Amino acid sequence: MDMDRSDSGKPPSKPHTVPPPQGRAPEDAFDLWLQRGLHQLYDSVAAEPIPPELLRLIEADKTRDKT
Amino acid sequence: MPNEFHGQLITLLPRLRVQALALTRNRAAAEDLVQDAVANALAAQNSFTPGTNFAAWMHRILRNRFISTLRKQRETTDIEDLPAGAFAVSATHEDRLILKELGQAVNRLPADQREALFMVVLQGMSYEDVAEATGCAVGTAKSRVFRARRQLQTWLMGEESTGQGRTSDAQDGRERRAGVGEHNLFA
Repeated sequence: MDMDRSDSGKPPSKPHTVPPPQGRAPEDAFDLWLQRGLHQLYDSVAAEPIPPELLRLIEADKTRDKT
Repeated sequence: MPNEFHGQLITLLPRLRVQALALTRNRAAAEDLVQDAVANALAAQNSFTPGTNFAAWMHRILRNRFISTLRKQRETTDIEDLPAGAFAVSATHEDRLILKELGQAVNRLPADQREALFMVVLQGMSYEDVAEATGCAVGTAKSRVFRARRQLQTWLMGEESTGQGRTSDAQDGRERRAGVGEHNLFA
């Protein structure tokens, strides 16, 4: 996922971090940061290959249905 | 038609994996949960009506399997078990620390809130889809996501927690459809 690097990885509006992007309410800025952070953490999970044994389980059932 | 059922199942596997991780917070347990849910679905495929919402049907099976497993054994999950990919991306040290903090905060959420948050934010599901997939009212699905976001903001922004993130669905209505034990897991 292409993320805007200009906001870095920091959550918005923390006293010691950069302020939220111009024109965005704090809640919107946090939601945007949260969305990016969650994608960064978990997108790789969905992208990993499906375990072969799981595919074999499904294929075996499909084959059994045909017989 | 067997091919359509099995094809839909294979297509849905990545989403099931994300849902399983949201519920278990543990990679190995998530893989096991997906496999168990798939086995359950294959055994019950005759109960699925072709043309209806397959994804919702399958998500419900996985969720019910998770609840059933927890009833049998009170497993503790490793809240430190974050996806390895979190640190595989090119990021500064501070970015990695913040991501780790986010991951730990997410793992502290009640399972139903985390599950709903993942479905909406990561998978782009509508609240209606989330409600159907998790067996709750649309308002409850919205509330779960709202509370999850609010609780994360409270934790991560360094504000005092009001404890409201731990409220159960009972405070939002009477849409409880899960079985015994869910209140222990999801509040």
